[in-house]
Amino acid sequence: MTDKILKKEEIEKFYLDLSRYFNFFAPTKENGNIVFKKITDPCEIIFDFLNSKVPPKEIVFPRMETLFTYKINGKEIEIEPVNNLNEKYLIFGIRPCDAYSFNLLENFFASGKFQDDIFIEKRKNTILIGMGCNTPRQTCFCTSLDHGGHPHRMDDVDIFLTDLGDKYLMRSISKMGKAIIDKLAWLSDAQRKDVAKAVELSKKAEELIKTKVDLENIAETLKPHFDHPLWKEISENCLGCGTCAFLCPTCTCFDVIDENDHYNNRGKRIRLWDTCQFCIYTTHASGHNPRKSKIERCRNRILHKFSYYPKNYGMLGCVGCGRCIQSCPVNNDLRVIIHKIKNLEKEKIEVKIIAT
Amino acid sequence: MQLSAYIPCLTTIKSIISENEANDIKTFELVFRKEEDQENFDYNPGQFAEISVIGKGECPIGIASSPTEKGSIKFTIKKMGTVTTAMHMAEVGDAIGVRGPLGNGWPIEELKGKNIIVIGGGFAFSTLRSLVEFIIHDDNRADYKEIIVIYGNRNCSEILYQEDLMRWKKREDVDVALTIDCAEKGWDGRVGFVAPIVESVDPSPKNSIAIMCGPPIMIKTTEAVLEKLHFQPGQILESLENRMKCGIGKCGRCNIGDKFVCVDGPVFSKAELNKMPREY
Amino acid sequence: MVILMGNIQEENKNIEHSMKEVAYNLLKNKEVDLIIGYAKGTIPLSSSPSFIINQKDVDNLIWDNLCHVNLARYVVPPITKIIDNENIPLKVGIVSKGCVGRSLIHLAKENQVNLENIKIIGISCNGIINRKRIEKELGEKEIIELSVMNSEIIAKGVDFVKTFFFDDYLNESCKKCKIKAPPMVSSQSNVIVGGSVESSSGEDDFSDLTEHESKTPEEKWQTIVELLSPCTRCYACREACPMCYCNLCFVDQNKPIWFGKTTDMSDIVSFHLVRAMHVAGRCVACGSCSSACPMGIDLTFITRKLEKIVKQRFDFTSGLSFDILPPMMTQKMNDKEDFMIGEH
Repeated sequence: MTDKILKKEEIEKFYLDLSRYFNFFAPTKENGNIVFKKITDPCEIIFDFLNSKVPPKEIVFPRMETLFTYKINGKEIEIEPVNNLNEKYLIFGIRPCDAYSFNLLENFFASGKFQDDIFIEKRKNTILIGMGCNTPRQTCFCTSLDHGGHPHRMDDVDIFLTDLGDKYLMRSISKMGKAIIDKLAWLSDAQRKDVAKAVELSKKAEELIKTKVDLENIAETLKPHFDHPLWKEISENCLGCGTCAFLCPTCTCFDVIDENDHYNNRGKRIRLWDTCQFCIYTTHASGHNPRKSKIERCRNRILHKFSYYPKNYGMLGCVGCGRCIQSCPVNNDLRVIIHKIKNLEKEKIEVKIIAT
Repeated sequence: MQLSAYIPCLTTIKSIISENEANDIKTFELVFRKEEDQENFDYNPGQFAEISVIGKGECPIGIASSPTEKGSIKFTIKKMGTVTTAMHMAEVGDAIGVRGPLGNGWPIEELKGKNIIVIGGGFAFSTLRSLVEFIIHDDNRADYKEIIVIYGNRNCSEILYQEDLMRWKKREDVDVALTIDCAEKGWDGRVGFVAPIVESVDPSPKNSIAIMCGPPIMIKTTEAVLEKLHFQPGQILESLENRMKCGIGKCGRCNIGDKFVCVDGPVFSKAELNKMPREY
Repeated sequence: MVILMGNIQEENKNIEHSMKEVAYNLLKNKEVDLIIGYAKGTIPLSSSPSFIINQKDVDNLIWDNLCHVNLARYVVPPITKIIDNENIPLKVGIVSKGCVGRSLIHLAKENQVNLENIKIIGISCNGIINRKRIEKELGEKEIIELSVMNSEIIAKGVDFVKTFFFDDYLNESCKKCKIKAPPMVSSQSNVIVGGSVESSSGEDDFSDLTEHESKTPEEKWQTIVELLSPCTRCYACREACPMCYCNLCFVDQNKPIWFGKTTDMSDIVSFHLVRAMHVAGRCVACGSCSSACPMGIDLTFITRKLEKIVKQRFDFTSGLSFDILPPMMTQKMNDKEDFMIGEH
């Protein structure tokens, strides 16, 4: 298999060829934020970006998604399943951490007795064209994750791109990726020096990740500490705003509501992103709430990612993208929280304040 | 394959029975509009379904009928939130969505050859009714040993399924002990809270399983009594409720530690619950 | 207008120093059990609200132009109590810039906090940096260090240094702020530290609204829609706002459902406008909502207009006095009612 070269001036051609078959999503700028959007003009693509504000999971698991539509006609009700599941998606420029999150999402939605066929169908129709990070952020810690997280990890995408400056080194990873590259006959072959440069960039990027988070056996470490005062400490300054969850590439919780169009006697059942950080999330109709204060809610978030997820699915529920760290309004830094967890045995936590 | 795990099957309300004087608990008998849906709805006692009032939303409700009662399914619903209130406004003939059966249900296989003590309180008796109806059915009765039903309510107007209870009482192979909190004129049953009644009935823990459903305070006090009567945690089964949306382990909110009430439960043994955090 | 009293960094250092001293003494003299203040953040452009109970930890307190969270948030619902391990309520000292102090006074008026149990450690704020704007303008360049020097904000990255003029890159609400330090309220012995500046007594300056006000209704609507379009409906604005303490927010109520929860533009706009109406005459323009917004929406753009309306119609500024009833808590015969249908 030969690696190919995609020159930056050829992006337009690349876009035109592929957008015939796919809804072409790429990083673009909207209101000052980088977002993955369906683009209609290759000029919209932003090539130099750190990562998007909202993870590209929103393409396959949108913040608002129709589960089915209905028509009400007196006592007659007609239910229509969603019919857009055959749409093909292509995500250009997805970062390795986010691409890995697609694995986690897929694994979660497909696991257990019931499959989320809406997600699975969408995921099946999605092609990932990953792009290595040459300049990871200060808050990135993908290399600390046990799945082999790396700013140039290629395993989770169909095609992997390395930014060599004026061009991309393009490598097909999956069968589908190979089929696409084969179709683009105009792509030139990569030279040995291009490949060497990509290797060098990959190494350099790894070195740039200074944040090391010790996640070894974290699930085991957490196990006996459900009632530890630690949870009081880490939830102390939490606002319960849920920003961490809304920007997390692995968070999947949702609310389900019926949205009616009363004028036309129809409506749709939709799901909306939700978060365990909200009080109302677990409140029973009776008013009883099993996770009544932010202490329990913060604990649930951490345990879900680092204890329940490994136990139920054999992988950590975190990809090390650092979005929660960057965006937390009170700077409740996940890295610090993990450090505290790992040092529970060594440093005694004495909690004197309980804010509930 | 079903097109989406989130799409309910349509049913028609065949009958509505008001279960109490306050008229805030009703039993709805539903018939599937499509025969194949009826066949696919293969359930065990103790399972639940997501009931949809289309346009209002969905909520999880325990199945009150027994799989032995063919042709329709029943749900006993207390008027509480948005969907249950909409349900109470529904009339015979209205379309209701049903998604299920969901959850694990009572372990009817494991219960075979055992004495069964069914302990219920208040309106949380529906899946217990399902279980008792299932066990006493001619096809199944021989599989199970002694059956004791202890059912408590605040007063006699709150007692659900009165006809069924009368029918069970008449049978020789079921012991039924009904109790109300305070004595009332014309009441010939027991008087007192469920826990002390269980103590006075004094069921033997030998080869027995206690199955409980009821308000938290009843569960707490009865657990203590059962312990006193030497029931092991593995011999006590409870059905939990947590807020749910999807019912299929995806929406996230009903988790208790690493377990989801909707798929790993709602039935858990006391032994399992002892290992789980108290997030319910 | 920010009046530069010499070097801002110097000024901050002085405030920080005297604040620490006051905090230390309050803890030492057992006047409070707990200080809620700001600690240094782990990343540039951040600060972290911090709960300090031991005198020795007072040194962790900081004061700079990135202390953006309104700390009054920590003493109103859903945070219903701050207690110790024995369940005994703690007496709290709150590091209060002007807007935090105003929030506390206003919340006391609304019977949400008891100022008997709260010590307002007033400090004179010289403005909060608009971190979202700086982040957006730098685009995809990561800031590694941010500092304030003289009248400039200096952002350093791996391969760049960029400076911003301090006065221009403050939160919009800070630019026009006249109440730098918490107002003195009669019933409370506030502790003011760090060179208390008298609130300038001049007229409120709403000139920043002139441009928007000159637009047609259609254009105004367009501006609001554009402003709010990135909203993901995470409600971080609501959770960060000390005035948003409702047990169940109107948007979460479902019996009946008043407002749509979708990310359709109409639902997004109605949520934000109704929330703004709910904080009208209560908002202290602290900018917490904007700085909490992960998408960087400047929500104070909406509340600012309401601030002006309340000032003009009711001559009221929230959180200034313990004696005047807020307009939404009272009714006077001469209240202007020209917003009502039929009057023009």
